Amino acid sequence: LNVNINRKRKWDIGKLIYMENVSAEDCIKRWRNEDVDDEEGGDSDSDDSNEEDFFKKKDENSSKESNPKQTIDLEQFVPYFDTFEKLAAKWSSVDLIKNRFIRSAVERK
Amino acid sequence: MSNSKSPLRIFEGHQNFRLRIVLATLSGIPIKLEKIRSNDLNPGLKDYEVSFLRLIETVTNGSTIEISYTGTTLIYRPGIIYGGSYTHQCPNSKPVGYFIEPMLYLAPFSKKKFSLLFKGITASHKDAGIDVLKWGMLPVLEKFGVRECALHTLKRGSPPLGGGEVHLVVDSLIAQPITMHELETPIISSIRGVAYSTRVSPSLVNRMIDGAQKVLKDVGCTVNITADVWRGENSGKSPGWGITLLAEMKKNWCLFSECIGDAGDVPEDIGAKAAYHLLEEISRSTAIGRGQLPLAIVFMVIGKEDIGRLRINKNQIDENFIHLLRDIKKIFGTEVYLKPVNDPESDDFIATVKGVGFTNANKKIA
Repeated sequence: LNVNINRKRKWDIGKLIYMENVSAEDCIKRWRNEDVDDEEGGDSDSDDSNEEDFFKKKDENSSKESNPKQTIDLEQFVPYFDTFEKLAAKWSSVDLIKNRFIRSAVERK
Repeated sequence: MSNSKSPLRIFEGHQNFRLRIVLATLSGIPIKLEKIRSNDLNPGLKDYEVSFLRLIETVTNGSTIEISYTGTTLIYRPGIIYGGSYTHQCPNSKPVGYFIEPMLYLAPFSKKKFSLLFKGITASHKDAGIDVLKWGMLPVLEKFGVRECALHTLKRGSPPLGGGEVHLVVDSLIAQPITMHELETPIISSIRGVAYSTRVSPSLVNRMIDGAQKVLKDVGCTVNITADVWRGENSGKSPGWGITLLAEMKKNWCLFSECIGDAGDVPEDIGAKAAYHLLEEISRSTAIGRGQLPLAIVFMVIGKEDIGRLRINKNQIDENFIHLLRDIKKIFGTEVYLKPVNDPESDDFIATVKGVGFTNANKKIA
């Protein structure tokens, strides 16, 4: 599954981060393929300058629109979480992260 | 030390306000912040931001701050980080954590030891609580060689009136942060926490603990949450209650979550919510959590001219992270390189950064 996800991803986040003409929100959207249709696969880190230029030009307009409405609060220390109900449903079992915990001494016995 | 030859670095908006000031202070590069809430009904700097600037002025020597008439433009020319003993009265619009957090970036590089007493609110929904700073942030500093650092809670002060007192002492003055190499995700060995209350029935604390333990019962490691009930003069001016949970990992790393209760909240739900947040944070983090990441990245950037590496989770790459890296690049001119780990079963990245070779202006390196 991971291999498929990686194949679909077109953008290298390392490059996207430092593209000043793309807003931070757009960076994340592109990287997660939320606004890009890609059926052909292929690697993200294409060095084809024409392709990059194409997207850059397209971004200039979109980033101008998205920049003024920065809704995220960068000063907030506490990260954003889903609602209580969603979290309760997700974490009804801790199997997802079970491998992150050391087994208790009692359990080992 | 202020580098008068450096051109002003210009930023727009109020976002990342504290971090930009901190980065400018560490680098000695003057900055200009423009269009601070220029489109708001109440334009310009907020009272807590002005209070923060006063604090910066206090702990540095030779800094100059120019604020425009409307408060929408600010020019900050940093001086040297001086430290010393002061008391800072925080406004009730922000908790003491808002002011303490940036001090952790500056204190290890000062001329004199930091001994700051902060007065005000000690808990809030958005900013770092004192327990999180104490148990979650100070261990990160330790990883970079800042070992003698303590945060003492003298009084707790819940919102809205506060009345708390917290004493930050940083005795460890270092020349340079140690280079970081953390390429693994350590195993969590235990979960501990503290549930506190001020000016309310102590039974709320036990109910919060029950709520959290119910969620965490299946994790398979020790869960130990202590009750911390504050009474009398030391419990501030307002009733309040909350819980902080900490997942302790091998190699002394830790992840945390915190929740505070409001009027009408059910204590068991607040305990459970904190536990869910902790589990969510564990699933979205590696050795370091989202709240700790900026501190770690900044210390890696200002480290000696060596390559530092830190494993980060895919989910930690968000808008905040991008803004952080962009601000770092604008001031220090250095980039963080992100490379996927060599493990097909993992989405993690290795953040690699070459330190800029920052040295504490007050310390000579042999």
